[in-house]
Amino acid sequence: MIKRLCAIGAIGLALVLTGCGGGGGGGGSTASSGSTGSTTTTTTTPPALTNFATLTIDGGPSALTTNPNGYIDDNVAFVSVTICAPGSTTNCQTIDHVQVDTGSTGLRILASVITPSLLSAMPTETDPSSNPVGECFGYVDGYTFGSVRQADFQIGGESVSNMPFQVIGDTGVFSTVPSSCSSGGGSNLNTLLALGSNGIIGLGVMATDCDSACAVAGGYAAAAYYDCPSSGCSTIIARTASTTAPFQQLPNPVAAMSVDNNGTIISLPASPTAGEASMTGTIYFGIGTQTNNGLGSATVLTTTSSTSPNGAGLFTVDFNNASLNESFIDSGSNLYVFADSAIPQCTQTNYTDYFCPVNPVTLSINLVGGTGATASASIVINNAYTFFDNNNAVVPGIGGPPSTFNQSSIYPQSFDLGLPFFYGRNVYTAIENRPAGSSTGPYFAY
Amino acid sequence: MKHNRNQPRAPRQTGAWATPAKALGGLVALLAYLGCAAPSFAALGGVSATIEADRVHLAARSSTVVNAAYTVHIMTLPNGGTVKEFERSNGVVFAISWRGPSRPDLRQLLGSRFGVLQSDILVHSGRRLRAPLADERSDFVLHSGGHSGAFVGVAYLPQMAPADFSVSALQ
Repeated sequence: MIKRLCAIGAIGLALVLTGCGGGGGGGGSTASSGSTGSTTTTTTTPPALTNFATLTIDGGPSALTTNPNGYIDDNVAFVSVTICAPGSTTNCQTIDHVQVDTGSTGLRILASVITPSLLSAMPTETDPSSNPVGECFGYVDGYTFGSVRQADFQIGGESVSNMPFQVIGDTGVFSTVPSSCSSGGGSNLNTLLALGSNGIIGLGVMATDCDSACAVAGGYAAAAYYDCPSSGCSTIIARTASTTAPFQQLPNPVAAMSVDNNGTIISLPASPTAGEASMTGTIYFGIGTQTNNGLGSATVLTTTSSTSPNGAGLFTVDFNNASLNESFIDSGSNLYVFADSAIPQCTQTNYTDYFCPVNPVTLSINLVGGTGATASASIVINNAYTFFDNNNAVVPGIGGPPSTFNQSSIYPQSFDLGLPFFYGRNVYTAIENRPAGSSTGPYFAY
Repeated sequence: MKHNRNQPRAPRQTGAWATPAKALGGLVALLAYLGCAAPSFAALGGVSATIEADRVHLAARSSTVVNAAYTVHIMTLPNGGTVKEFERSNGVVFAISWRGPSRPDLRQLLGSRFGVLQSDILVHSGRRLRAPLADERSDFVLHSGGHSGAFVGVAYLPQMAPADFSVSALQ
């Protein structure tokens, strides 16, 4: 349904561009007189839609794939974003291969891929002590640390002025990761090889990256903000959640847009059975705000909010007679992660984290939202060892268990629907407390 | 400082942290159990007194639930998250679980096992696996999953757990 709407939108866009001779952005009304001069017909051309950007799934940044120690990313959706020094239209840079992540919130870009002249022109946020602000951000497999700087941000036809984002691995006082940051465990993701992308744009259900969890000083949080005097970043400070200027926490970039700011749609084509080298799709900004982003007949799966004790973005997956109430849809996971002792794991070196069924396994799951709405899905799990063999970036049906521990009941409450789930679907992510179509976020829908 | 909340389904509730005498007893018991040098400051594998050190470090409110073979210390963190420490009747902390907007300070909570975890996860498979952390040793098991803003995990010492302990209780 949405694909059809999107196609119509694209045709409309093409017509507008043709009508305008390719120039201008606006569209608007055109009038023509009939030959008799006695009648006038007025037609309205809809404005050109710009609330979308192209998604690419490929092996990753060239600096990664051509590095002797590099690798080919698999099942990672990338987008390009443009950042400019605040107020400048010339000191700008388009950053390619920024990973689209519905499992986190906020924009983060490696310092090493930003030109020095731009980096130095983007001011850091400052705290009440007039010191620059740093941030530690936790991902499931590690953490990033860096400065919080402001930029004029653009993606597709959307923009946000003075938007704070994290410069991962920034220099100077930010070059030392505080021990209270690394104490969360996992890998230091501050390098291209560790991160696997030039940056990550978090477009999850949260409006800011930490919400009330960072409204208190001290402790350690998934996102934690730091006071960074010249002596170093060590004190964790409270930062408020705002999606408009003056910002403090990193906003969800979509939540900070002036329009189309209630969520996104990730629209990817189906993968060929064996996968493919690359794929392109589209991310739409806004849900039900334009002619190309309607909710249609998608089932709305309400999730937990950031005030939940368990955290935001969780709903239930019914699978194998279990009700897994800490499940989520995460474009930033490059595989399905769930426990199923009936599916054998790979035995080959370096592949034991993955499932390796002899033949593809088809699973039936039900996704159950907080309001009880249910959507079914059929998921295929392939043999990771053989499917990875082609060095494709699009590798459908990759899955793995949460661990190889034989007592899987230690971890039975979660089904992580990673990027393979997005192939052939339009997946909606609605931001919490934002009306979006017929419902209000936070929700996922497809 | 300490805040004991009602636990409707708890079979019994205690309001006090381990007394020094009990902590000392636990230490003696642990040393006897290990037959080796004193453990690190951290709670996992440590004695009951380390639980209070963890609570202070995390600036947490706490309550306890006592079962037949072990006591669960439930800490509510300033950011809304929860950490549970599972203490055997001999005073040894044999498991820790967490849930909430962050991973807690695992360097504090895991002690010497934190280094074990960090060195084990450095073994990469070539491709980057954007997936939960896991460690699988005969004497140390860890799972840490979820996504940014909603983390969940457990760390467990199978050989130190009560004989009939069910891992499902760690959730």
